[in-house]
Amino acid sequence: MTWRHERDLARRALDTARTRGASYADVRFVRRATEAALVKNGRIENVDRGDTAGFGVRAIADGAWGFAASQLATAEEAQRVAALAVEIAKASAITKLADVHLAELAPAVATYETPVKTDPFALAFEERIGLIVAAEEALRAQPGLRTTRARYAIQREEKLFLSTEGADIAQVLTECGGGIAAEATGNGELQIRTYPDGLRFQNAGGWECLSEWDLTMNAPRVAEEAVALLSARTCPQDVRTTVILTGNQLSLQCHESCGHPIELDRALGTEAAFAGTSFLTTEMLGSFRYGSDEINIRIDSTSPRGLGTFGFDDEGVPGSEGWAIKDGTFVGYLMSRETAAALGMASNGTMRADGWSCLPLIRMTNVSVMPGRAGTLDDLIADTDDGILMDTNRSWSIDDRRLNFQFGTEVGWEITKGRRGDMIRNPTYTGVTPEFWGSCDAVCSEGEWVMWGTPNCGKGQPGQAAHTGHGAAPARFRGVRVGVVR
Amino acid sequence: MWGETELRRIAEEALRQADGDSAEAVIVARTGSLTRFANAAIHQNVSAVEAGLRVRVVRGTRVATQATDRLDAEGIAAVARSASELAKIVPENPHFGGLPRPRPIAPAPSSFVERTATASALDRAKAVKRICDPAKAQRLRAAGFVATNVQEVAVASTLGTWAYSPETTSEVQVAAIGDAGSAFAHRVSLDFGTLDVSGAAEEAIAKAARAQGPLDLTPGEHEVILEPYAVRDIVAFLGQQLTGLAVEEGRSFVAGRLGQKITGPVTLVDDPFDGDGLARAFDFEGQPSDRIALIEDGIARAVVYDSATAHRTGNRNTGHALFPNAFQPAAAMHLRLEPGTRSREELIRGVRRGVLVTRFWYTRWVHQLRTVVTGMTRDGTFAIEDGEIAYPVKNFRFTQSYHEALAGTRDIGRDLALLLPAESFGIQASSQRVPAIHLASFNFTGATAY
Repeated sequence: MTWRHERDLARRALDTARTRGASYADVRFVRRATEAALVKNGRIENVDRGDTAGFGVRAIADGAWGFAASQLATAEEAQRVAALAVEIAKASAITKLADVHLAELAPAVATYETPVKTDPFALAFEERIGLIVAAEEALRAQPGLRTTRARYAIQREEKLFLSTEGADIAQVLTECGGGIAAEATGNGELQIRTYPDGLRFQNAGGWECLSEWDLTMNAPRVAEEAVALLSARTCPQDVRTTVILTGNQLSLQCHESCGHPIELDRALGTEAAFAGTSFLTTEMLGSFRYGSDEINIRIDSTSPRGLGTFGFDDEGVPGSEGWAIKDGTFVGYLMSRETAAALGMASNGTMRADGWSCLPLIRMTNVSVMPGRAGTLDDLIADTDDGILMDTNRSWSIDDRRLNFQFGTEVGWEITKGRRGDMIRNPTYTGVTPEFWGSCDAVCSEGEWVMWGTPNCGKGQPGQAAHTGHGAAPARFRGVRVGVVR
Repeated sequence: MWGETELRRIAEEALRQADGDSAEAVIVARTGSLTRFANAAIHQNVSAVEAGLRVRVVRGTRVATQATDRLDAEGIAAVARSASELAKIVPENPHFGGLPRPRPIAPAPSSFVERTATASALDRAKAVKRICDPAKAQRLRAAGFVATNVQEVAVASTLGTWAYSPETTSEVQVAAIGDAGSAFAHRVSLDFGTLDVSGAAEEAIAKAARAQGPLDLTPGEHEVILEPYAVRDIVAFLGQQLTGLAVEEGRSFVAGRLGQKITGPVTLVDDPFDGDGLARAFDFEGQPSDRIALIEDGIARAVVYDSATAHRTGNRNTGHALFPNAFQPAAAMHLRLEPGTRSREELIRGVRRGVLVTRFWYTRWVHQLRTVVTGMTRDGTFAIEDGEIAYPVKNFRFTQSYHEALAGTRDIGRDLALLLPAESFGIQASSQRVPAIHLASFNFTGATAY
């Protein structure tokens, strides 16, 4: 995409914003193409394509923020929307306590594109749909299933960002994902197994991000486990034991109990009414003991395949890498230019918006638990006398300061004397964030580490969904409270 | 606003260019404006104009959809062409019963108020000031939002369907936050001129003043009064399971139990004609929406359907199709838990020892079939002793079957609160009207330190 027309409109919008009194303004044009398909119980349930394009203008006037957006890409509309953003900013100023101040930033003129091996949009449609048709058919070979599903989703987002500071950044971000799911019902139970991670697995990259998982080959195991869960033992009730979480479950644990509390807007109280605040308050930065020495969590928008990987965030700040938790100590927030300035720091580039119509917010980029030295999952199980292995999230809930959590997984297995034993159904565990991460005594090695993704992270009002990346390997936690389903 | 004439022109142009046995066009056009405040000042303030066209093309039993927000001639032609091409190569769905044929749509009360459609950023900012100033006077930090939305929904098909509804909503949410406790209030009105901003502020501020310094209360089974903000969550979760698809997939608590007693004496209806809610007489397939008694005095009576699920399962389409999506084709969009006769104060007076819950937070399924949900209490949890609010308590985690909790319904409040759930697919698809309720028991399985 050349963006010639949009760049012209963006400059007109910036001119209008300045003329109307903005001390700062930026314009984002976004075009997003999507395709998703779902095969269910042997039928094509849904094939859905989308194409959305528009622009948003963010302005500071009278020391306060305004934002307006529209889908009509005309000169008149660009000027109207820019003027409206300034008008809204001036209205915001009637409650202002202090002027908005942005951390310094050298404006970039640059481009970025997600590395892609196989362009999913260039593949024949028959090849895309064929992959999930075959995988879903392989699930149905297993007797006793009630519902079988296979899904893929592909997305390409093209973005142009211009600011009154002189930034001019064009990016192309491509994502691809999907999965399979088998459900069985009986004995008052509904049990599900999925692969590789619900139906929501997604990565930045091309079709290879999905095809490499070999859904069809894994379908018989997934289907068999779903049926076996109906007659599996129920999770022990309200006991404390050792828990090993597989990588995909640990990735969501990290998302909820580390990724969100390190959002600086939460810590500063600006999400207090909705998403909540954070137990990681600013005076804790650099000293608070978040977890055991085994815990190293990285903030990184440069990781290959991460859904939070990009060239620049939606404020024009370049992608970066750093630490959130180093050797168990809390050392870094996710920041915007405004919140970083409040701490006298520079932004680490985490502002992202859900399309053209939304305001950029602090969002997780790739917040990943780094691998440890515990070898493979089999090694870790062999090193564990007694406990439960839990795999793939099914239920998740955490309080508004990100302390008290409760998770459920699709399946568990008893671990006895270093061996994986009987299957366990309805496994759940609960805890308090720093105590839980403090109980971690082993994280598997790099060979087990996978870049997982969360393509549905909700935040903001109006609500926005962000795509975030979370690398993780299996890890072991001691003395965890397990089994809280009545 | 686009208006009915223009949206009909766009829809008909898309249908004219679609190449298939039949086709459907759904348009949702919105102007959403939301002024967000925290730490007693506006920090986010947005307004966006959005209109989306979704074209579904049918060729035999092959079905494909394509969406766009390019509504110029070129964009309309492109979306119709792309959906048509896709419909030629999509594998067949032998269970597809065709697009629904048009049926007469009964008139519903208007859900459009001009005063909301013309509200300005300054109007919303002044409303915020009416919240922040009194909060500051009480040494509380106010956070929340004031929003106004205009939405138009239009559905057309080559079979002759045409349905159009212009709608407005205005909304205020307030959290009043002190150093050691917080409280929450929420108001909704179709008319921004009657939105009770001051009432929300007063409720949150007064409750926050009582919420400071919460004490420990041992988790376990407690008798509870749930404010409407918490009841909304129960109604929403049960509503998800009161669909034909949930029954078909074996995940509904009413599967095989229609006609049986499943809760205490509560009546839950879906009423698209409720003039005190966000009335809309048709669904997102342009079918007339029926008023449905889902649970009647505790007895499971019915579930709601879209056309495809109704066809596949041999049931009658009740006209509850959601905006087209892969996972939840239908929903009860106008839920009302019928009121009782008690005031909120009378409900509290009926509790010797118990807990008052303002709202729930981060609620998720633990076991769908048994409607077991986990979540937290938030923004105002209190111990009740001898019929009085005694003292604030630290927040609980609960793990509770929602329909089993309703089995212990002791009393129901007389006042219904109109509440809006979060938007779904960028659309304000539904509203709920719910009272406070008094339940014999609720299972709190953990507690926080605040």
